[in-house]
Amino acid sequence: MPNKVTIWKLRNNNPLRKSYVNNNIKPNEFDALIRITVEMSKYLYPYIREILKSKENPQENPVIWNDFNRRFIELIKERFNIDSMRVKKLLDQAENDEIIIKSLLTLSFCISNQGYQKLKNFLYDF
Amino acid sequence: MMQNKLSFYQSSVSLEIIGLPDYSNNENKDQISIISQWKLTIIDKPLIEGKIEHLWPIMNAFYIYSNLLIKNEIPLFESKLIDIKADNLHIHNIVLKSSKPNVKPLILKIGNSLLSDTINCFDQLNESPKVRIKKPDVPNNFPMKLRYGLNKKNKFFNFFIPPLIAICSLILFSSSFIYFYNPFENIEKKELINPE
Repeated sequence: MPNKVTIWKLRNNNPLRKSYVNNNIKPNEFDALIRITVEMSKYLYPYIREILKSKENPQENPVIWNDFNRRFIELIKERFNIDSMRVKKLLDQAENDEIIIKSLLTLSFCISNQGYQKLKNFLYDF
Repeated sequence: MMQNKLSFYQSSVSLEIIGLPDYSNNENKDQISIISQWKLTIIDKPLIEGKIEHLWPIMNAFYIYSNLLIKNEIPLFESKLIDIKADNLHIHNIVLKSSKPNVKPLILKIGNSLLSDTINCFDQLNESPKVRIKKPDVPNNFPMKLRYGLNKKNKFFNFFIPPLIAICSLILFSSSFIYFYNPFENIEKKELINPE
């Protein structure tokens, strides 16, 4: 990744985004994105863990989960194509819990040194 | 002889490995290859400990279960030693069965946060250069579905490759007949039949 602009451009390969551009993503760019995701997960692991924990005991500490969920929905409404059925599913409060928790779990399982390979396997198998 | 002790920590979970180096293999004195004891401590839960032969099956159970959990498959793992199933999206039920008779199984309920801590402790152990665990030959750290996926790929190739080779060889074989085919000879024959 030569600079941040390249990463920003690569994000637009996501078909769920409003600014979707179909540039075929190259294998080395795909690998680089996985490495960035793993490094971010390592860095954010304490926060990811607290979000998961907050959802386990919603009576005790619902604040972290509610904050995260609200921000997640705000970002999706702001940046994703909300006419898409898949995005509507992400915004649906009844269905998105499972998607969010499984995504957070996937990230939390990939924080080891071999996390890159693990996440790559998960994604290829998705 | 003093035994080596190595600990791996991740938030609320710690894994302790006690053992000796294999001096016959010229290993360093701080290495552990002959594991005599291991302890998995999860905060607010009973201590889990066992023999070396139990460590890898338990780690494997956690890895397989975590893969099933995030792959939208039924999260259920059952074996002689350990059962893990999901109570709901957030709580996982672990049943550890003792190999000794008349000992009741140990039942633990852990959430997603403790499950990810446990997996990360096992990852640290796997990646540690100071500990060597004799694992079975099957690459169990591989996602389960991926293994099935590879098998499916093999089945797919086994199903399609033989007829494809047969068709290709038939085309190659029949194309060699083009050298024996003379179109002018056919025209001449037709002219003989219809002299007009």
